[in-house]
Amino acid sequence: MGKKTKALSGASQDAYFRRVLKTQLELKVEDRDRLVSKLREDIAQLRLRKHGSADAKPLPPPSAALPPPFDPFSPNVVVVVRTSGRDAALAALGGIDNAEHLRLLAREQRLTISSDSSSVEDLRAAIVTAAERRIANRFAAAG
Amino acid sequence: MARFLAVSNRKGGVGKSTIAVMLAHAAAAWSRQRVLVIDLDTQCNASLMLVGGLGWERAGRAGRTIADYFFDRFDKVAEDESAYVLKDVGDVAHARGAPGRLCLLPGSQRLEDLQGELLLRHSKKDLDADAIAVQVRGRMKRLIRHFGMDFDVVILDCPPGLSFAALAALDLADHVIVPFRPDFVSQFALDRVALLIERVETAEQLAGIAFSERRYSCLANYLSGTGHERLLIDQLALDHPLLAARIPRLESIARAFDWEETRQTMEQKYADAAPFLRALHDELLDVPQLRALSA
Repeated sequence: MGKKTKALSGASQDAYFRRVLKTQLELKVEDRDRLVSKLREDIAQLRLRKHGSADAKPLPPPSAALPPPFDPFSPNVVVVVRTSGRDAALAALGGIDNAEHLRLLAREQRLTISSDSSSVEDLRAAIVTAAERRIANRFAAAG
Repeated sequence: MARFLAVSNRKGGVGKSTIAVMLAHAAAAWSRQRVLVIDLDTQCNASLMLVGGLGWERAGRAGRTIADYFFDRFDKVAEDESAYVLKDVGDVAHARGAPGRLCLLPGSQRLEDLQGELLLRHSKKDLDADAIAVQVRGRMKRLIRHFGMDFDVVILDCPPGLSFAALAALDLADHVIVPFRPDFVSQFALDRVALLIERVETAEQLAGIAFSERRYSCLANYLSGTGHERLLIDQLALDHPLLAARIPRLESIARAFDWEETRQTMEQKYADAAPFLRALHDELLDVPQLRALSA
C-alpha cells in the first residue's frame, strides 16, 4: 500500500500554493503573490493528501451562485409595527414567499404563531398579530 | 460641585457594579478626575472590586462604611465626612504609574437593617409612614450630596431593590446609567426604571419626554453579537436613549475584577476590553446634562 500523503517544500510547495490560489478567481495577481510569499515564510513543509488531481480543480467563487442566506432577524417586525403600523409590517413581510422562512423568522423573533397557519398569507398575518400582542404585553407590564 | 452619576437597574445581574467600577477607573486614570464611588448595594461588590475582601472587612471594623456614615450623621450637622472615605483605592494607575485619584465609601450589609432603624427612630414623631419615608430619603440624599464638594465625579452604585438609599441616589443623580442585558425580561426592567427616574407613571408620559431631556441612558452589556440581541436593542431604542458604546461579553472583563494589590495601567487591566471602556468613558462625558454641568 502506497503512502497517503506527499511532502512538499521549497519550489514545489510554492507551486502548490499558486495552483490553489489561482482557482480563487476573485483574487488579484498581486494579492496571490503576496499570499504565496507569506505562506512561504510561515510554512516550512506541507503534507498533502493524495487524491488524484482533485486539488487543482477550481473551487466555485464564493457567493457567485448561492443566494444570500435568509436573515430571520430582518425585518424587525416589532419595530415596523410600532413605527409604521400593521399594514407596513405585512408589506415588509411580503418579500418573504417561503413558508419555512416565515416560520423561522417567527421562531427567532420570539413571535408565537399557531401551527394551523399554513399559507404564506396566514403566516404573515399571524406574525404581525403576534408582534402586536408582544407590544401590548410589554406596555401592560410597564405600569 | 461633583457630577453625580448613578448606575442603576431594578433587575439584578446586569453588571451594575462592574460598570460602576470600570467607569470609576476610567475617569480616574484617563481623565484624571477625582472620583468617589459610593457603594449603596448591600452585596458590596463594588467595594470588593476596589479594596478586596480584607480591605472591605477592615473598613467595616473601623466603622467606615455607608451604613456607619448614615447612622452616625443622620441627626447631626454633617462634618468631616471624609473620615468615612478610603483613599487611593482600586488597582489601576495612570500611564506614569501614579495611583488614580479614586476613593471609596464602602458598602455595608447592614444598610438595609439601618433603614428600618431610621424609620423606627423617626416614627416617634407625629408623621404617617409615607411622610417619614420621604424624610429619611431626603436626609440620605443630603448626606450623599455632601461629598460633592471634594470630588469631580461621584459614582453611586445602586442596589437592584428600591431601598431608601437607592431612591435617594436616583433623585440626586445628574445622570443615571442603566446597564442591561439584551434579553426579553430586560425590556420590562428598563421601562420600569425609566418611569422611576423620570418621575412619571405611564409609558405615555415617558414618551412625552424627549430623549435629549431624559436623565438616563441605557448601556447594552454582556453582548455576544447574536441576531436576537440586535433585534431587542433596536426595539428598546424606540423608547429609551441608548448609549452608542456597548460592552461585549469578554473574559478580560471578568478577570479584571480579581482585585490585585499591584497597580496596572488601564490597558493592562482591561486588555481587549479597554477600547470598549474608552468609548464608554468618552461618550459619557458628552452626555448633555454632564456637559452642561462641566461647562
